[in-house]
Amino acid sequence: MRLFFELAARSFRRTLTYRIATLAGLITNIFFGLIRSSVLVALFGQQSEVSGYTVTSIITYTGLSQALIAYLMLFGWYDLMDGVHTGEISTQLLKPLSLFRYWLAHDLGRAIAHLFLRGVSIMLIYELMFDLTYPKDLGHWLALLVSLFFAWWLSMVWRFLVNLAAFWSPNAQGFGRLLFFAANFFSGFMMPLGLFPDWLQTLCYLTPFPYMINVVIEIYLNIITGSELFFLLGLQLVWILGLSLISQFILTMGIRKLAIAGG
Amino acid sequence: MGLYLKLVGVQIRSQMRYRSQFVLDTLALLLVTGLEYASLALVFERFKSIQGWSLAEVAFLYGLVEMAFGLTDMIFGGFDAPRFGRFIRQGSFDQMMLRPIGITLQVLGSDFNLKRFGKMAVGVVIFSYALSHLSITWTVAKLLYFPLVVLGLVLFFGGLFIIGATIIFWTVESTEVMNIFTYGGSFMMSYPMNIYETWLRNLFTFVVPAIFLNYYPALFFLGKPDPFNFPAFAPFLAPLAGLAVFLISLGFWRFGLKHYQSTGS
Repeated sequence: MRLFFELAARSFRRTLTYRIATLAGLITNIFFGLIRSSVLVALFGQQSEVSGYTVTSIITYTGLSQALIAYLMLFGWYDLMDGVHTGEISTQLLKPLSLFRYWLAHDLGRAIAHLFLRGVSIMLIYELMFDLTYPKDLGHWLALLVSLFFAWWLSMVWRFLVNLAAFWSPNAQGFGRLLFFAANFFSGFMMPLGLFPDWLQTLCYLTPFPYMINVVIEIYLNIITGSELFFLLGLQLVWILGLSLISQFILTMGIRKLAIAGG
Repeated sequence: MGLYLKLVGVQIRSQMRYRSQFVLDTLALLLVTGLEYASLALVFERFKSIQGWSLAEVAFLYGLVEMAFGLTDMIFGGFDAPRFGRFIRQGSFDQMMLRPIGITLQVLGSDFNLKRFGKMAVGVVIFSYALSHLSITWTVAKLLYFPLVVLGLVLFFGGLFIIGATIIFWTVESTEVMNIFTYGGSFMMSYPMNIYETWLRNLFTFVVPAIFLNYYPALFFLGKPDPFNFPAFAPFLAPLAGLAVFLISLGFWRFGLKHYQSTGS
């Protein structure tokens, strides 16, 4: 366990050193957030509330969804794939902790750094520009923290699973891109799921993706409360366990197949 | 011109070698563009309009911009900032400079990517949807002007790509900020400009003349009134604004070339 946190700490510090990249990413995320909020506010027009969302909470939504991009690596993560293609995976497999825990530790450090650098910072700048909604009490703040943590964990398991495709195909990147972008539609990243037609919302909630984004955001906006909140936190855990089992199974098959060229 | 076609031909043949990768990449681009629009269309059911624009009218704008941006991405892909940054860092750009052929033409011919056809195709589909749901009276003037608007948009986006690439001469790393101008610009221009706050709209009117390439031509084609009371010729500035941005970007590119120092790799 000490090794796990040591790895995470290193990856945390490494992420902190990319200052220019952080600033560039921050500006880009905020710019897109501004456009997305303009679109949604214009759609609302004179209506003050649509399916649980007010104008204030829809603006907050655009900030939150932009704030989650770097934390959850929503536009793709291919580090494990690169390792398989370059052969670096052979050293990763020799580490004194499992391949999954190695990457989990690595990603934890990165995620925590990004949560502050490109998450909290976006919300602070949003606060200067707009009126925002906040979790209504201490309990909600705590629930938010738990669901944020679960969302990262679930997203990491999912990204790990997608990356395993590299064991079978040298073109896995294109395949990954396809899946990552489709996920952004079903997760509530492109538009809040609450504004989708009811049948589509039901469909989305049959996938693990809303548990990475939409659930976190709706807890923040106080749309999910009470017993429903505990139920959804539980479902986040269920998906984490489910996808973990599947990925372990596929990883075993992939490693059996793996041949590393020496050199 | 013959040389350019040859460069492009080589790339198309090499891309066709990796058939499955080509199909996957095209599909991914198709999905990205398609889902983005789909999410808007699906949400639209709960609202009547977006500041006086119906879904079909937005689709006209959205399809037009996506088509032109897809076309630009295909033609000017060599100037795409992340790719061009790799070029500079790996020293491929230095190799190019040693060849007895114009450098600009070589960069232009260095990444003609057929998969970006997927993005354009989605634009065509969205645009067709708009045409079938709107009853636009196509006068001769409109028919003649339409290709000029597309040309203006392609020159405009092409110019932004070139500016992004030129900045890399100094920064070496490609910075994500350039995405604001290319992808951010096209994303923003897919929506009617009257939804943005005044400062943002002014930025894209007087600093970057984007508003004359999407919003004003669309007002003309759709026969919508101008809420900002610009002069009556505003819708017809598209080719001019596109050309201006393109020429400025070429000037900047030449300036950058003169000041380029290799990374030494």
